[in-house]
Amino acid sequence: MSIRRVALVWLLGALAPSLAWADNPLIVEAALDREVAAPLLDAFEAAHPHIQLTFRDRSTLEVDARVADADDPPDVVISSAMPWQMSRVNEGYAQRLDSPAAQAWPEWAKWRDEVFGFTFEPIVMAYRLDLSRHMMPPKTHADMHTLLTQHRETLRDKVTTYSPVRSGIGYTLFQQDARYTTRFWDLVAAMGAADTNLEANTRSMLEGLSEGRYWLGYNLLGSYAMVWAQSHPEVIVQVPQDYSLVMMRMAFIHRDAPHPAAARAFLDFLLGREGQRVIAGETPLFSVRSDVVGPYTAQRLRDQVGERLYPIPLNASLLAFVDPSRRTAFMDRWQREFRRLSHPAPAPSAAVTEPRIDKTPQR
Amino acid sequence: MIEVEGTLKSRLAVWLVVTVSALGVLLLVEAYFSAQRAAERAYDSQLEAAALTIAEAIQWEKGQPVVEIPSAALQILATRHQERVFYAVLDADGHTVSGNLDLGISPDWRRRVSSQPTWLNDSYHGTQWRLYGRELDSAGWETQDPVQIWVGHTMSGRDALTEALFEHAVTRFVVMVLLAGILMLLAMRVALAPMRRLRHQLRQRDADDMRPLEARVPEEMREMAETLDSLFTRQREGREALLRFTADASHQLKTPLAGLQTTSELALKSDSPDAWRQALTEVHGSAGRTSRLASQLLSLARLRHAVEASATSRIDAMSLLHETTFDWAQRDVSQAHDIGLAPLPAAPQYIQGEAWALRELLGNLIDNALRYTPPGSVITLGAVCHAQTLELYIEDDGPGVSPETLEHLHRPFERGGRQDTEGSGLGLAIVDSIVRRHEARMQVESAEKGGLRVRLLFPCLTRHEER
Repeated sequence: MSIRRVALVWLLGALAPSLAWADNPLIVEAALDREVAAPLLDAFEAAHPHIQLTFRDRSTLEVDARVADADDPPDVVISSAMPWQMSRVNEGYAQRLDSPAAQAWPEWAKWRDEVFGFTFEPIVMAYRLDLSRHMMPPKTHADMHTLLTQHRETLRDKVTTYSPVRSGIGYTLFQQDARYTTRFWDLVAAMGAADTNLEANTRSMLEGLSEGRYWLGYNLLGSYAMVWAQSHPEVIVQVPQDYSLVMMRMAFIHRDAPHPAAARAFLDFLLGREGQRVIAGETPLFSVRSDVVGPYTAQRLRDQVGERLYPIPLNASLLAFVDPSRRTAFMDRWQREFRRLSHPAPAPSAAVTEPRIDKTPQR
Repeated sequence: MIEVEGTLKSRLAVWLVVTVSALGVLLLVEAYFSAQRAAERAYDSQLEAAALTIAEAIQWEKGQPVVEIPSAALQILATRHQERVFYAVLDADGHTVSGNLDLGISPDWRRRVSSQPTWLNDSYHGTQWRLYGRELDSAGWETQDPVQIWVGHTMSGRDALTEALFEHAVTRFVVMVLLAGILMLLAMRVALAPMRRLRHQLRQRDADDMRPLEARVPEEMREMAETLDSLFTRQREGREALLRFTADASHQLKTPLAGLQTTSELALKSDSPDAWRQALTEVHGSAGRTSRLASQLLSLARLRHAVEASATSRIDAMSLLHETTFDWAQRDVSQAHDIGLAPLPAAPQYIQGEAWALRELLGNLIDNALRYTPPGSVITLGAVCHAQTLELYIEDDGPGVSPETLEHLHRPFERGGRQDTEGSGLGLAIVDSIVRRHEARMQVESAEKGGLRVRLLFPCLTRHEER
């Protein structure tokens, strides 16, 4: 044992200088807030000191565009725009990862062993304490619809949610909502009637709530909202009691990754016990692994909220969301429903001219 | 000499292995292709189902086909092997109404699909894809153009299923072969049990046990058992003949030796030189006869046992007959008889044989004739040519033998019922042995003139064999 340890120390001593000088870069293109991910990145750099990590924090659209950049492909691609990530993988832009961590990764959170959902972020409602002074705060989607119908005037201009046009995540969440029930469209109509404000990201919604501009927010990223609520006591986070969608950030190694070994090391770290432990303990992204303990784990969330968590399925059905004609049809319907109650005469279906993913950073 | 190495079991096993492996290769090739077909059928039907699901979602709106791709169709396409998926909906002009990858559906393919649904294999960016296209006639208010639906996926599921099916086929085959091999071994044990019992019985036999086997054996072995039985029979007969011969020989030698003893005893008791002389003369004569007897016994024994000797050559039977007859005619013993040759065929007649044995043969016959006929008898030798055989004969005008005795004449020590001659009874036995060695036949019969006639039928050398 001692001989081994001595040998190991000697080996490290001999290798250390060469490792330090090794030119071993790694380029990660991510739609993930650097501040949120900082503990994770620090832990990776500590575990792999010889890899020079370049973490480029961009919007989902930019990340998606970088994937197709043939001249300067990134090593690892991370994005929360699940359908677009899936589409890129289906186009063959990902390479397979055959490591023990990838093999052990739960089936429902990976596809083709090429792309992995490595976070578990619930979608929540959030309200300002002011709301509870006027009415019973909503606990379910049906409550939300009832409130919007019964207190339309009180809530006018005080409700916020994602813009499906400007936000890829918002679009994905509404698509998923619409898949579960057609009553979702009544909710959209009710939100339209209450002159709901459409924001491009969760941060704007949270800021609005804290400032008092908004009283009620729908479909916020729980990961950000829960952290926000800790420092902003006026904001209450409510995980819907009927069902709560769960979004997963998806990571894959680019097919033409210039530094595949480092990329594999990074993904192995993300999926491995160490990376997931950091996610569970030091970020609000929630760990997927059931063998990791910390304040932010999927298991703990399930224990708190029960079995009403519905992860957006990480499979080929996501590809339907990026189908152009389906997207057009959905947006047409959205616009129609949103204006149904406020403008009884349906407006001519405005062609969606905006880009398919929100241009502003989406976190 | 039969040379078969190894055991019957290993021979059967080798035969089985060779045939089964040849058959197995064929079977496995067939199994691979049928597995491929089965996998293709299974997954092609999924492509079809996905295309139908998409077709269900196509509608016309303001003269344009509109499709809201159903998630289910994509999941059907992806299968549980998580294939990469492709779909495209094309209008009548080939423009994409909706689709995800640009696999480049060629106009040629579109023409084929317009007549009937089609499956295709295509390579896209180094990956194999299986595509399926079908045309949909759908009615709108303004237009009624056909719409083509194309779907496709990568082929890892097909490969995996083919592999699995093939593996099953191989496993089944190997298990079957192993079972068949085990059953074969068992069957061989059961089938070969009689052989083992027979072997056991033979091994336990005493060296001089020459009884028949009396075994009830399967059809295939019956011949062998019968052959063994007949071998035993021949051995028993040979053994009996040998015992008889030895007993007879001892008896024959004992009589003159006893005579010698008596004569010499009597002479020793006498004081008269005349008696001694007379006794010595008797002893001399008797010793001569005994010596001749012993040499005949030797030559008989040599003939019977020297089976291997095959120093045969082509011999002209006529000159041999001629020489031997004249040789004997000049001897002292024949002076009381009239030995002569019948007219012989002019041409030499060749037979295959040993000269010394043939001379011995003729000599014995002449000697016999001299001994068993009264002085003054006529002894005639001759030869007759038949189609396949050459007949040598010797006949006399002596008293002959009775018909009952005729068939025993060739036995050793048989004297044709006569005890009055000096013969040993071995002559015809020697003749018989030599005749057998030459694959000839001997017939003993009564001659026309009343005496004995011995005919020897030798196979002729055909013209073809003459070189």
